[in-house]
Amino acid sequence: MKRSFVSVLALLAAFTLPAGATWWSPGDGTPFPAQYDDADADGVTRLLLDGGPMETKGHPFFEPKGNYGRACVTCHQPSDGMSLSAETARIRWQETAGKDPLFAAIDGANCPDLAQGERASHSLLLDHGLFRIARPWPPVDHDGQKIEPDFTLEVVRDPTGCNASKVWGLSSPNPQVSVFRRPRPVANFKYILAMGFAIDPKVGKPLPIDPETGQMVSGNLMADRRALSLEAQMRDAAHSHLGFDALTPDDIKRIRDFEDRIFVARQRDRVGGDLDAMGARGGPETLARSAPGRLGSQGAAVWSEFAAWEKIPADADITPEQRAWRESVARGARVFREKMFLITDSAGINSPVGFGNPVRNSCVFCHNMSQMGMDVAPGQVDLGTTTMPFADSQPHLPLFRLTCKGPAHPHYGRVIHTHDPGYALTTGRCEDVGKITLQTLRGLTGRAPYFASGSAPDLRAVIDYYDRRYNIGYTEQEKRDLVNLMGAL
Amino acid sequence: MRRIMTALLALLSFNSVAQAAEAVRFISCPIYRDTDAGRKSGCWLAEERETGRRFDITQSATKPDWSMAVLIEGRIADNQDNACGAMVLEPVRVSILPAQACTRAMIPAEGFPGRRFVLPSRNIRPLYAPEPAPPPPYTAQLFPIPFDFGRDFVVYQQSDWMLVRAATYAKASGGNVVITGYAETEPVHVSGQSLAEPAGLGKTRAEMARLWLVSLGVPTDKVRVEWKQNPVPLADPAFDGLTEISRRRVDIRVTP
Ligand code: HEC
Ligand code: HEC
Repeated sequence: MKRSFVSVLALLAAFTLPAGATWWSPGDGTPFPAQYDDADADGVTRLLLDGGPMETKGHPFFEPKGNYGRACVTCHQPSDGMSLSAETARIRWQETAGKDPLFAAIDGANCPDLAQGERASHSLLLDHGLFRIARPWPPVDHDGQKIEPDFTLEVVRDPTGCNASKVWGLSSPNPQVSVFRRPRPVANFKYILAMGFAIDPKVGKPLPIDPETGQMVSGNLMADRRALSLEAQMRDAAHSHLGFDALTPDDIKRIRDFEDRIFVARQRDRVGGDLDAMGARGGPETLARSAPGRLGSQGAAVWSEFAAWEKIPADADITPEQRAWRESVARGARVFREKMFLITDSAGINSPVGFGNPVRNSCVFCHNMSQMGMDVAPGQVDLGTTTMPFADSQPHLPLFRLTCKGPAHPHYGRVIHTHDPGYALTTGRCEDVGKITLQTLRGLTGRAPYFASGSAPDLRAVIDYYDRRYNIGYTEQEKRDLVNLMGAL
Repeated sequence: MRRIMTALLALLSFNSVAQAAEAVRFISCPIYRDTDAGRKSGCWLAEERETGRRFDITQSATKPDWSMAVLIEGRIADNQDNACGAMVLEPVRVSILPAQACTRAMIPAEGFPGRRFVLPSRNIRPLYAPEPAPPPPYTAQLFPIPFDFGRDFVVYQQSDWMLVRAATYAKASGGNVVITGYAETEPVHVSGQSLAEPAGLGKTRAEMARLWLVSLGVPTDKVRVEWKQNPVPLADPAFDGLTEISRRRVDIRVTP
């Protein structure tokens, strides 16, 4: 009954799914509408499929493929901003008694060799929204050649047991490092793939070249940049998450077409109303229409979408609550750009590029792309979210001890303790330990918890992390304004 | 009148202007002065221990790391704005010396305003609005690229801009390119220390320059790479009149 109701609605160009009925099962067959509004308790997130609706029946992003009964959509859910919230995973666990393919042992469990079907074996996914990501150790480069890392890696502790596993661990026949990461949203790729400049100032080099095409690429995919193109990412995803190695050229083309057309952003707030009202330009429509890859400092200031709300006319026809919320979002955009603090010991920013350590700047220094708030240059930056001493306490995660064989790390010294070496798992370089590629900041509300290791349970926790990390000293109002802004993206 | 003369001289030969201002070169630990005139407005100071003079080294393209010593090479600026509370060096180059640890030192603004960030004139154009290619006629051209002491890192908003110019010219002219990387392996004595670059650095610098040119579209078969040590100093605008730093460079010669 529910299914046919949904299908009928899908015939319309736009529809709103009722909250709670929003799990998109692989093979569901519901057409993907040109506009998909997902309502939650606080408002509406809108997905725009630029170019019109699409059949999902037989579509390789939506059809189950491979050994586990999963599809890409399993972990990239339309109702979660094309990512997957920990809460959705918990609901799914309850609704299916842990039987959903989402919980497949390969990466939906803390380790494949744990007793499946027990909650404790899936605690990282259920409590923190984390999937197991297994990286080869030592790393291999984009041409498949082994890299000789300039650091050694030991396991200090591993509550999942996976890094010590005889089958899946570091000394298994197929040695790999298991780290645990949040799914990154599958949307807004026009921006993620955009190249603003031909160079990456962070490493003092030109942009990376995709070995498959010989073309320069943005270098902004995946927490550790292990894939340089969406095509390479797809093959990696199909192999690791689906247990499927036979994506056809046609599959790849169709997934790519979907990825190129899908945009996500918050559209409406329960209190504040439409985010593109009264001169504001929130929502995904602006995203689909704007030129990507522009620096906010040279073009449209980051989050200037809400500039019109800085001065709402006194006689505007809105409720006091609506006015207060909109003004708060507009202030939040200013705080994001203008509240300065000292950025310290963050490799990628404070080294090796000569910005200085410390350097005074704001959120927009790193989150500098107009409309998207990611980094125009490839965004491999060590914010400290996964690495000691800056990481929040995460006793549920493995902890590694890395020892630099060559020069010491510019900020951590020779011995580094980290839950996820991030970019260093791709490059094998000590100086890259802890660097995580900046995510886009659109459609945030649906995809808690935040940061690569899910260390921030909600948007307030994100702001509190920054406040601690860089000793910013935000006022209570500034924090609320930033949280409201994040919620409006 | 004298103002005009100086300006003319500057146009004709930056060397003669350079001679007018006192050159300094020393190693020290940096001090961060926490001024706030917006983004990137903090001040960097360093004391020349030999004389007790405190200098403002903020104008260097490479800024210090507060936990590492720095080699400072510069000239005392004609215009002293006192924005940071120390004698301004400009031009000035800072090289970070990671092997020499410093105690972190941060002092308050103490009423000094710092300087608002201005985009340096050496900045790369975005891909969506690139610099137009230089028009013919094409002649043989030398593009010298400066490097910080001991590093092959391409300095942001300085050497990167120069490399892009070299690549643009090489592409437009279709010329052959010879890249010569240099390292300053002969020890120099600064602040009681003997500084020398490793012999291999000339090669890694040259290879870095080649990576840039080729990635930016210069055909691989047009590019030849070589490396040497201890070149004679070069007077070129790339070095802003700082002779000593020109020994740590890469020369890109484009011959149409
Ligand atoms: C089991 C869950 C799961 C499945 C199934 C899955 N993904 Fe993902 N996806 C993730 C996780 C986790 C990440 C982040 C990985 C990282 O950063 O290391 C991710 C990242 C991505 C990214 C990178 C986005 C960015 O901005 O960096 C893309 C693109 C993507 N997935 C596409 C796909 C496609 C296409 C499929 C199907 C072939 C798929 N995913 C299947 C979990 C999944
Ligand atoms: C020094 C660079 C830097 C600065 C400054 C910075 N960020 Fe970030 N930001 C990052 C990096 C790197 C990540 C990814 C880290 C991770 O996932 O663990 C990130 C991630 C985020 C995320 C999480 C997105 C997600 O999908 O999980 C949010 C939200 C965010 N930043 C907001 C802010 C706000 C608000 C500020 C200002 C207080 C700010 N950032 C300042 C580098 C920076």
